[in-house]
Amino acid sequence: MRFNTDYRLNRHHKFKQNDRKYVADLETNAIVEVNGVEWDILQRYGMQTQYQIVEALKGKYKVNAIFDGIARLERLGKHGQLLTQIPTSAKQPNALQPIDHKPKILVPFEFTEEKSSLDYITHLNRFQLLTALTESTLLETLGFTNAENGSGDSKNLEALGDIRIRQIESGEKNTFTSAWYAREGYDGMLLLSQSLTDNLSYYQIPDVPIVHCIENTQKLQNSMLETLLHLHASQKESDAFVVKASWMKEWLSEFGIPERHLCVIPEGINVVQPISKALAKQHTATLFHKPMFTQHPVVGLISGFEPNQGAQWITEFAHANRHLAIFVYDSVLAQHYKNPPDNVVIFGADSQEMASILPVFFQALDLVCFPAMPGTPCSVVLEAMAYGVPCVAMTKYGLPPEVSDAGVSVECQWDNFGNFHVPMRELSATINAGLVPSDMRAAFEGVARRFPQKYTWQKTAQKLTQLFEKNQSLETGTHQTAVNLFPPIFCRRYNPNTFETTSDAYRLGINRYEHLEKALGETLLTQHKTAEVASVFKHFKAKTSIPTSTQFSKNDGFQSSPWEPNDIDESGEQLNQSQIQQPLFRNYEDSEAKDISRNRVIRADAA
Amino acid sequence: MFEEDAAFYAADLDKATIVELSALMVDILKLAETHTNSEIVEALKTSYVEADILQAFERFAELEGAGLLFNRGEDLKETAAIASERRKLLVAIPGIATDSFFDIETLSAGTNMAFSYMFKHLTKYVDLHFTGNRNRKIADNLYEVDISVVDFGRLSRNINETYFGILTLHRDHETWLLPLYQHIELPPILVQCHAPRGHGGEALNSILRHYAAMRDFDGFTAPSDYVREFYADYVWDVSFFNTLPNGVDSTLFRPMNKQKAKQELARHVGDDRILTTPTVGYLSRVESEKGASVYLKLAELNPHLLFLIAGPSLGRYASQDLPDNLIYAGFHPRKALPMVYNAFDVYCFLSMSGEETFGLTVLEAMACGVPPVVPNFDGVPSVVADAGIVADAENFQHDIATFVSYPSPIDFSKQINRLLNDDQRRESLSQKARERALSFTWDKTARRIVEVFEELQEKRRLVSPNRLLNVFAPTPPAETVHDLGSRGPAHQVRQESQYKSIVLGMNERYEPCLIRDAAYPLRVEDGLVLSILKDHTVREAEAVLTAVIEDETEAKATLKRVCGLIQATA
Repeated sequence: MRFNTDYRLNRHHKFKQNDRKYVADLETNAIVEVNGVEWDILQRYGMQTQYQIVEALKGKYKVNAIFDGIARLERLGKHGQLLTQIPTSAKQPNALQPIDHKPKILVPFEFTEEKSSLDYITHLNRFQLLTALTESTLLETLGFTNAENGSGDSKNLEALGDIRIRQIESGEKNTFTSAWYAREGYDGMLLLSQSLTDNLSYYQIPDVPIVHCIENTQKLQNSMLETLLHLHASQKESDAFVVKASWMKEWLSEFGIPERHLCVIPEGINVVQPISKALAKQHTATLFHKPMFTQHPVVGLISGFEPNQGAQWITEFAHANRHLAIFVYDSVLAQHYKNPPDNVVIFGADSQEMASILPVFFQALDLVCFPAMPGTPCSVVLEAMAYGVPCVAMTKYGLPPEVSDAGVSVECQWDNFGNFHVPMRELSATINAGLVPSDMRAAFEGVARRFPQKYTWQKTAQKLTQLFEKNQSLETGTHQTAVNLFPPIFCRRYNPNTFETTSDAYRLGINRYEHLEKALGETLLTQHKTAEVASVFKHFKAKTSIPTSTQFSKNDGFQSSPWEPNDIDESGEQLNQSQIQQPLFRNYEDSEAKDISRNRVIRADAA
Repeated sequence: MFEEDAAFYAADLDKATIVELSALMVDILKLAETHTNSEIVEALKTSYVEADILQAFERFAELEGAGLLFNRGEDLKETAAIASERRKLLVAIPGIATDSFFDIETLSAGTNMAFSYMFKHLTKYVDLHFTGNRNRKIADNLYEVDISVVDFGRLSRNINETYFGILTLHRDHETWLLPLYQHIELPPILVQCHAPRGHGGEALNSILRHYAAMRDFDGFTAPSDYVREFYADYVWDVSFFNTLPNGVDSTLFRPMNKQKAKQELARHVGDDRILTTPTVGYLSRVESEKGASVYLKLAELNPHLLFLIAGPSLGRYASQDLPDNLIYAGFHPRKALPMVYNAFDVYCFLSMSGEETFGLTVLEAMACGVPPVVPNFDGVPSVVADAGIVADAENFQHDIATFVSYPSPIDFSKQINRLLNDDQRRESLSQKARERALSFTWDKTARRIVEVFEELQEKRRLVSPNRLLNVFAPTPPAETVHDLGSRGPAHQVRQESQYKSIVLGMNERYEPCLIRDAAYPLRVEDGLVLSILKDHTVREAEAVLTAVIEDETEAKATLKRVCGLIQATA
């Protein structure tokens, strides 16, 4: 899969003779006969991108014929005719020019279909984010209309407000997926959908940096890690996941997603004109028919638990702290956990109306308690604290930076299967201590009261825009063209010394065998990212008992057995292309310099 | 001629190349077709210095010498246009003078002789164009064509437009043929599998390389089913090996009056024992791999029989003490061979070479009604079937040099004596041999070649490009392996990561190709095959799978599954 232009067009002269079309390559003196579509492509090649060429010619030719024409011309280029392969070193990352206009961002519309599987607040926040982003960016989404029956899905899109809709006619003549239209004209892409299948095709697009906002909501939690690991395999250098809470970043980096692909940008928070705490407690007690909320300290628990685990834990916690009135924010349990202990109320905002009461309950709180785990919505925690409420965070890694100086943490453990373990006695002690008025508590309250200024949608939008601008300057190409004059042929080989048949790679041109694994790595790298290739090799390493003499590592390249690829190491650093290719080339040089001198020249270009 | 960036160029469309010209050369070219050199000098000397004009002529002479711009040879297009709309095969035998195939007398090696017959019969069905460096007609339906075109892209397109297939008949395939498989435009290529084994594994490895590199619509020909059976141990898809039995010229090789033949040979050799003693014949180069030593042993074991060697020379055996009952009958021209065969009472074939997939001389002897005794290995027994005797031979599992077998002198001796002592059986085998030989005709061989090309063209129409996209990714540790009772820290329950591949619902041309917008999980092995099949052949994927999946059934199933997916989504 090569999307990038790896060739430049030679100086040439086109002419027709006897109804046939010819191109004379003035650099190699060759004459090549071309067909109509190739003739038209040559008119544009090098000046237009593949996308532009296809879009320009698709009225005149079948789309497949245009792709085939480009492929054939590039095949000629591979054989040194008409086109010349551009050495990788000479390729400019095409995005070095800074964005000097409002960046134009594509927001694929698929996320609107997730509405039913999200809680109301998560859904609401998406629109607040988009609204804030329209200040600094030009947002566009794709709308498909069917020319034949006039139908389209613009219905969903009406709700998107300031987002421009780019109408694309779908129908028989247009068989592209929406990803095709993302290929050009955008400075970046903002993905909001959490689904693997919605997004995977957008990740195949070269040159357009992707910022993908990852939700922390328990409804999406089960399959989320897997989805993110898969999407990460497709990430370009210039792509990033935006997570809304620091604990999401910690969680994902634990599973091997490097920190440079993870950016923490908290959401803006929504606050209302405050009322007095006593009044808020009064309202809360009335609305839930729980008089104890006016008499006892009120502790808010912003949940994020896997539902079964959550119900058990909340019950346990409530029994251990019967003197506390406990307000739980959990949109799943609010619907399903009907008979919680007496001192517990569970609330979930699943409509605009209910979301508008939420600030009343938050203002009744004396303390906010939350587990720093993937399902816990950070913005809700911050909103709950914004009226001057300190927090006790149940965390693996200490107090999350979002709430620093506004609370304390209790160390706990959780894993990816919803198992959550917190020392209940220690937690209760910390909470009770936190409820007692003190200088420290007063200081926490002061910090929390400044949250509304700290977490605004403007700031969120600004950080996102900056992220787009920063990533724009990174290498955006998906794949490096493998510069290889002599392709390997994978074949079986009978060894007359051992009487055994093995699989090897036979290198054309050089006419000799080499390790299958090395050639395999090389072949895979022409289509896949380094981390993907490492995945393949680690998979086989785990499965086979092939003795490994050398490792796939920064120092050895794919030398003899890549089944043991060097890990994406502790620092989360991936191997990059040149690190793999250079040693390869050096090994060649040492041992078989004569044989491959031609090959080496080419590789030297690449390195 | 055209001008670009103030420079003049002439385009030679036949050679697909351009030549940069000076202004003077342009003026000369304009006049060249209608004027003589002196007229040109006369016409141009007002504008140019005469010495420059003469220099330009020299430059043109150089270009002509390089075969550019001027064509004094026959124009093949005209020649070919006269020929009918018959299908054309391109025959690639680089390094061998084409004419030599049509002078049977000079052909000594069995293979080349076979080609000669094959070509003659092929021209009944197709035109044959031999690759060469000039355009000319050799004989009816037989041409030499110039393929020294610089522009391979154009050449391959022309080849594809012109030819039904490419027949390659050359041993040194590696350097020129192997890279040709990379060109998807070329028509089907049929490769003669000369030596399926032998040469210390070299023959086998060469075939395995070709098998791997071949496109889905290329194939091998081999003279007997044996080759296919042999390769079944090394490759998964033996349908690439097409059996193409040789034929025999049964009007030349036919039974004659045996006594007369013996008299003639006796006179020729000057040994009257031929007339009186039962004769065992051997017609071959006299070399160890052809079984010469075994033949000597047979002579020693059977002093009561006469052993006749017909071949180009005795080779190194000339300097040995040969048994008295072994006679060297000398070299005979092709037309005299039927007489030689007819003088034999039994034909003995002893070749131990891995290149012996058929045994053309056996068939010739059979056509002459001489019952053959052949060793039980490789392709020869299938040629003989029940029309001869198959004697014991040690078949080596792993060859040394070209030796792949050792025929048992004891069993050969026993079989030969039994046959010579049983007139009735010999008579019946003689008839059977002749009948069986009649079923091997060069016409059948030629028709089979055309048929194989037709099959390959059919396969070619079914070839689908692989445009699927897939990604490889780790998966989170599976929940099932987790001990639910454990409340320990997460890292203690973390299992080693597993990996998978995901095939996308969108192909590399951005078209939806699976159920819209879907992405489906695959095993890493399947994904690996999918990736390999982008730029490599199914046979190459086969080699990789053999290396990464131990269980062959599972490996084959993987390949079938992925190939099916590619075909279905193309």
